[in-house]
Amino acid sequence: MRLFWEFTVRSFQRHLTYRAAAVAGLVTNFFFGILRVSVLLAILGEQESIEGYGRAELFTYMALTQAIITYLSLFGWYDLMNAVHSGEIATDLLKPMGFVSFWLARDVGRAAVALLLRGVVIMALYSLFFDMVHPTSVAQVTAVAVSLILALLISFGFRFLLNLSAFWSPNARGIGRFGFTISWFFSGFLMPLAFFPAWVQQIAHLTPFPYALNVIVEIYTGQLTGPALWQTLCIQLLWVLLLFTLAHVTLRTAVKRLVILGG
Amino acid sequence: MWHTLTLYRRLMSVQMRSQMQYRTAFVLETLSTAVIVAVEFGSVALVLNRFGGIQGWTLAEVAFLYGMSETAFGFMDMIFAGFDPPVFGQHVRRGTFDQLLLRPINITTQVMGSEFTLRRLGKIALGLAIFAFAVQANQIIWTPLKLAYLPVVMFSLFLFFGGLFIIGATITFWTVDSIEVMNILTYGSSFTIDCPMTIYPDWIRRFFTFVVPVIFLSYYPSLYFLDRPELAEAPSFAPFLSPVVGVGLLLLALRFWHFGIRRYQSTGT
Repeated sequence: MRLFWEFTVRSFQRHLTYRAAAVAGLVTNFFFGILRVSVLLAILGEQESIEGYGRAELFTYMALTQAIITYLSLFGWYDLMNAVHSGEIATDLLKPMGFVSFWLARDVGRAAVALLLRGVVIMALYSLFFDMVHPTSVAQVTAVAVSLILALLISFGFRFLLNLSAFWSPNARGIGRFGFTISWFFSGFLMPLAFFPAWVQQIAHLTPFPYALNVIVEIYTGQLTGPALWQTLCIQLLWVLLLFTLAHVTLRTAVKRLVILGG
Repeated sequence: MWHTLTLYRRLMSVQMRSQMQYRTAFVLETLSTAVIVAVEFGSVALVLNRFGGIQGWTLAEVAFLYGMSETAFGFMDMIFAGFDPPVFGQHVRRGTFDQLLLRPINITTQVMGSEFTLRRLGKIALGLAIFAFAVQANQIIWTPLKLAYLPVVMFSLFLFFGGLFIIGATITFWTVDSIEVMNILTYGSSFTIDCPMTIYPDWIRRFFTFVVPVIFLSYYPSLYFLDRPELAEAPSFAPFLSPVVGVGLLLLALRFWHFGIRRYQSTGT
């Protein structure tokens, strides 16, 4: 556990160094958020609300999804893939720590910086300019926090598995891009899932993706409460367990295939 | 001039051959660029289909804007890939750009030829498919002028996006860290013109009219092609400014590029 903490802290410090890039990222993020919400507002038109999304909920949806991009590495994460291709993975495997935990520790550090430097700042910035909906009780804030942590674990499990494809293919980038693109659609990043026809929503909820993003919006805006909220948190937890088991099993097969050239 | 063209063809063929080496990887990467467009347009299409359009524009009309933008951007992203700001920025940071400067060959040609991303064919194919659907579904009243003007608009949009890439690449001479802001101009323009410009707040519309005038390359010409009612309120010359704005921006970008190179000081790495 102590080792896990050390790796997390190191990764946190490393990601904290790029401050100019962070400011540039904020400006860009803000601009794209406004473009995206304009489309949603135009669809809403004169109506009071669609499927529980009024103006305030749409602004909140946009702010939350924009704030979470780097936290969940939505636009792609290829670190593990690169380590496999460069051979660096050999030393990683030698470290006195489980391979999955080692990468998880680094990802938690990265995600913590993303959440503080981007997530919180973006939410604060959007709250200044737009009327949004915020959690109203301590219980709801706690639910959002728990759900955010579970979402990161789901996202990590998915990204880890996707990156393992590098063990089988010398150029797994295509597979990676493919996977991330599918996740945008089913997670509710491109459009709130409630805006899609019912059959698309049903398919989406068979995948882990809505549980990494869409549910956070629904909990934050108070659309998910009571038993439905508990059920959602349980499903999130189930996905975490399933993905981590899969990651361990796949890793074992993958490492057996691995051949590293010395030198 | 002839020499430059031959050289560019050589560089391009090297790029193509190397990308085709790993056949499976190439096919997968090409497919993935198509899937991105399919998924993004698919999500818009599903929602617009359910709610019956956006501010009086039907799905087919939005597809016209969408197909045009994706196709032109796809071609540009394939051919001008050497100027892609993050990619080019890495050359500046690592000092590999200096190697190009040392060669006694036109620098613009070398950068153009340094990257030719064939996998964008996937995006282009999907963009063309969306555009074909739009042309067929909209029952456009074709006139000889419209037929002649359509390729001009497409090509101007292509040049316009190319100019934006060159401006972004030039900025990396001064800063590499903050280059993400360039995405507002490049991907931002492409994203914005996917939808009718009337849905955006005034300041965004003004930004894309007066600062990055992409509105003249997609929205206004589309009003003319689709015979939209908004055409009556627009200045009568607005749909026909495409070639002027497209070529103009590219020329401006090239001047900025040459200015940047004259001022360029290597990092020494």
